[in-house]
Order: sequence, then C-alpha cells, then structure tokens
Amino acid sequence: MDNHLIEIDNVSLLRNEKSILENISFQIKKSKALNLYGLNGSGKTSLLKIIVGMTEPTSGFIKNISGDEDLFKKTIYIGHKYGTKGNLTVEENLSYALTINSKNSQLAIKKALETYKMTQQKSMLTKNLSHGQQKKVSLMKTLITNSLLWVIDEPYSALDEESINIFNDTTKEYLENGGALIMTSHKKIKEPFFTTENYKIHS
Amino acid sequence: MKILNIITKEFLLASRSGYEIFMPIVYFLIIIIFFNISTSYVEKVIMLELLPLMIWISCLLICILNLETIFKEDYDDGTLEMFLIKDDEIEFGILIKILSHWLLSNLPIVIVAPLIAMVLGLDTTTTLTLFITLLIGTPTMSLIGSIAAALTISLRKNKILVSIIVLPLYIPILIFGTSAVNNSFFKMNYSVELTLMLFLFFIFLLITPLACSKALKISLD
Repeated sequence: MDNHLIEIDNVSLLRNEKSILENISFQIKKSKALNLYGLNGSGKTSLLKIIVGMTEPTSGFIKNISGDEDLFKKTIYIGHKYGTKGNLTVEENLSYALTINSKNSQLAIKKALETYKMTQQKSMLTKNLSHGQQKKVSLMKTLITNSLLWVIDEPYSALDEESINIFNDTTKEYLENGGALIMTSHKKIKEPFFTTENYKIHS
Repeated sequence: MKILNIITKEFLLASRSGYEIFMPIVYFLIIIIFFNISTSYVEKVIMLELLPLMIWISCLLICILNLETIFKEDYDDGTLEMFLIKDDEIEFGILIKILSHWLLSNLPIVIVAPLIAMVLGLDTTTTLTLFITLLIGTPTMSLIGSIAAALTISLRKNKILVSIIVLPLYIPILIFGTSAVNNSFFKMNYSVELTLMLFLFFIFLLITPLACSKALKISLD
C-alpha cells in the first residue's frame, strides 16, 4: 500500500433527492495523475469537494491510507474560484499563500514567476490581470508549497497553449518526485503527457 | 507570526479598498451631527443625558452595517475554501480575522466616540464609562455578528438576514451598555453591568470560533 494516498470507498451523494454521484470507488496513487471526466453537471466538482473534505458524502468513505495523518493539510485545492485576492499584487498573493514549512520562500516565488513567465506582471494587482493570468497565479501556488497532493478543478480552462505546456511540464516533474494529482476535465486524456489514469463519472 | 501575517494582509487589503475604510466613522459622525441638530430644541441637560445612549445606538447600528463583510470577500474569491481545507488552526484563524475586522471597522469609533462626547460636554466619568463599555461591547457584537455572517455566507443578499439574526442577541449588550453609561451619568454603581458585559464577551470569545468554523463548513457544503 506504499504508493497509495487516498481510497474513495463507495461514495454516493444525494442532493435535493437527486442522485449526483453513485457508488464511486477508486484509489489515488502516488506519482500518478487521475483525470475525472464527464459531462457538465455530472458531479466532478462535487467529487473533488468530497475528496478534500469540504462536502460530506451521503454514504461511503474517504480513507486516508497514505500513513501520513496530515495528508489533507498538505493538499492544495484549486477550485472554480481561484483564491487570489484582486487587491493584492501577484507577488503578494503568492507570499500570503506560502505555508510555514516552505523554505527559501522568496526564491520559490521568483522561480514560480519565472516558470509561468509572469515576472513582468509581479507587481500588478491581480484584479487588473486577464482571466487566464489569474488562473496562472493560482496554479503558481502549487509550485511554492510542499504538498503531497494537488487537487485542481479544470486546470486547462482559461489557459493558452503555452501555459498548458508549462502546467504539463511542472506536473510531470512533480509526479516524478512522488506527488499526486487529481484533476477534472470534460474529456478523456488520450495522449497523456504524464502518467494519467482516466475515470469517467456518469451522471 | 501567523497572527501578524493575517492582520497585515487584512490591513493591506483594507488600505487598497479605497474610501470604504472610512465608512464607519463617517456614518458615525453623520448620526451624531443629526442627533445634535434635532435635539437642539430640548434642554442641554436632557441632551447630555441622551448623548451617551445615542452614541451606543449608533455604534450598534454601524456594527450591524458592516457585519457581512467579515467573510464575504474571502468567500467570493475562493480564499475561504482553501483556508478551511488546509489550515490546521481554523478556529484561531477565524478569531484573528474577526479581530482585524474589529480593529478596522469598530476600533476607530470606540476611540472617536468618547472624544466627541467630551466635546459635546459630557462629564469625564461618564465618558470614561462610555469608552470602557464600548471597548467591551463592540468586540462582543463583532463576535456574535460573525456567527450570523458565517451562517448566511452562501446567500447572495444576506444583509437583511444577518441583521435579523443578530438583533435579539445584541439586545442584552445594548441593555447592559446603556444601563452602565446611564448609571455612571447619575453617579450610581455600574459594576454589575460591566461584569455581565465581560461575561458575555468571554462566552462569545469561546463559542464564536467553533460556531463560525462549523457554520462556514456547512455553508460551503
């Protein structure tokens, strides 16, 4: 069980007497990306929220089988809302997102800015950036914290091709170093850039 | 370290949000000016007797006005979600957030109100009582209000609901606060009221972080 992080055991979710998720079971493994795909409204985001513990499932369990009690605290969640403050600059947003255990923080921020090619915009207020740039700021948070798991809702939405490549590169490196990723998208990833497992969610 | 981190962030955000930061104090001044004009026909003694009570009411009103802003921005931009998942000390973080909200929107009034009361001719003892009761009362109101704000965060227009929820809970504070000030004005003992206010403050200091974190989790569900 060494390379397993989380077991999703028979999870179902009912909302307003309508079944949104039904008997979903899978495991999240280290060094692997898991792509949850399905139609709009099939419950991808709800499942992510269940995994990170924001929503309680109607039945079923989320089991932490990684052996690390703090797994969920070492998880980065990027949802539909990016979690960036419009009235802070890019750099300030990143520095407030830092966790205490991250060392060489200023260096990490500088590196993240360079990776996503945002160094020029680092002193701009986030609200003045475009939608895609704001998304990049939130994705940069994954690079500056030491996390065991990334949970990202629609990482590719609003990104241009160059940024998608950057995200793929950083994810690949992260997975090779033992990280794990859960993401959602509208379609199955047929030519994976990194080790990807696809899981279809039926509505 | 972490306390400073959250407080500096809130202050930085407040300083960038423009003139909104002055809103409480401006409202307060408006109420006091209107009160003064409208009571200029009554005798000075009666006006002075009413003044501290009026200040108390205006503080309470202003406190209600800006309650829903405590968590609103964090909820809208998604910071709250991440905070609730990741943070190991959610309750502590919430308490610091309430503290910085109080520092930014209530403390200016707590400082200015006694000064204005002095200028308008209130005696020093009553002014001091007014200051002390406001210093205990307004944080209690912020604590109570943040529970209501947390409960209603997911509603788009939550201002009215927040006001209705906090109304009955604010009444005891208003009664004790005004009663203490009034007793002080007539040179009577007001230690009972102060004790009760302190008691309320500590009760809500204990309850609020827990209630808020639960309420926020339910609202985000």
